[in-house]
Amino acid sequence: MKEQKKVTTTGKRSRLQGMMLIGLSFLLCHLSFSISSCSSIDCPVQNTVNTKYKLVKADGTTDTLNTDTLWIWSPRANGKASRDYQLDDDDTLLINSLCGPSATSFSIPISYTLPEDTIIFALLTRSGKELLDTILVKKDNQPHFESVDCQASYFHTITNVRWTHNAIDSIAINNPNVNYDLSIEHFHLYLKADR
Amino acid sequence: MIYPSSISTFISRLTVSLLLLIAALAVQAQPKMFRLEKDSIPLFRGFALSFDLVGPAQLMLGDYGSYEGALRINLHDQWFPIFELGLGRANHEKDEVTKLTYKTTAPYFRLGMDWNIMKKKHGPNRLYAGFRYAFTSYKVDIIRENLPDPVWQNLTGFSVEGMPCSQHWLEAVLGLDAKIIGPLHLGWSVRYKRRLAHKDGDIGQTWYVPGFGISDKDNLAATFNVIIDI
Repeated sequence: MKEQKKVTTTGKRSRLQGMMLIGLSFLLCHLSFSISSCSSIDCPVQNTVNTKYKLVKADGTTDTLNTDTLWIWSPRANGKASRDYQLDDDDTLLINSLCGPSATSFSIPISYTLPEDTIIFALLTRSGKELLDTILVKKDNQPHFESVDCQASYFHTITNVRWTHNAIDSIAINNPNVNYDLSIEHFHLYLKADR
Repeated sequence: MIYPSSISTFISRLTVSLLLLIAALAVQAQPKMFRLEKDSIPLFRGFALSFDLVGPAQLMLGDYGSYEGALRINLHDQWFPIFELGLGRANHEKDEVTKLTYKTTAPYFRLGMDWNIMKKKHGPNRLYAGFRYAFTSYKVDIIRENLPDPVWQNLTGFSVEGMPCSQHWLEAVLGLDAKIIGPLHLGWSVRYKRRLAHKDGDIGQTWYVPGFGISDKDNLAATFNVIIDI
């Protein structure tokens, strides 16, 4: 008799334990849905893709525009590279009146999918000369994806650069990879010393 | 104001702390835990089949989720080697803001072991701690049509289809199952997932990894299982 009672009590306790666990299960099922529904959007804070040009002197030290003033624009004609080098309503102004001793570098956007970007480089020197140069940047374009919550963009690999020689002496590709990293100096730009 | 990411981080930390506590207790009780209890119960106690309900619910309510089943061997009500097999799916069509489409459907598997950490091993209810090794190899479609160049103002766009990706990861599991009636059990598990190695294709990173969830270096997930002893 005593043994039977003991078995019944153990069975009751086990059922009670089971019921508690089921209750806990439903509670945690609810929690699991809550966890699943939690989401965060982790898009890069820095999400512009620019090319950086650093002004360098022939001896390798940093150059500056100082009293010269620089304008940069790119011709655009329905997204195609244009050979019209006059700044007009269709063009996009990328740098407006950059000057001063702290002007040692500048960053400009790079097109998403054009095979070659045309950059017009206009320099007004301290002696009042207007010097106009054209820079042609050839590149490979790779689509870039972070998440469905972040805007798609393009990264690039610079393959070649050409230029005219009015104010610019030469341009060297320092790092061909163009991505979200704004600290990368992609080009070293050597201006003529006697401009 | 509490943001969803803060809640998620809080829950992640809480779970990791609990798992570490259980691991510490398990290490303390190590000789007892790994020792086969001396009783008349045989070593092989049968198999259990289980199906997760959270993954299909996620698929019904959202853009991604999975169908998942598991086969578990019961060794003396103490050790439970387990094999989990699932099919993960994401179908995010033309996001409202970014207009991106992301699609993938691929199988994944997990292999691991659970330990029953209840004092009375042979009772009808169990509390588990365990681990899993998991792997998936999957292909993704990422499409963005008519993407305007903000400076040059021309329309661009890309369509990457069938980009091959893969991922290996580990999971720490804390779970519970309760006997309902006969061979039927209900159970849940909370899992902390840690990425070991991954291949994300050529255009950045992936978004949803089958079996792992939203791509990150770690992740927290939960399952709610219907378990049948066979």
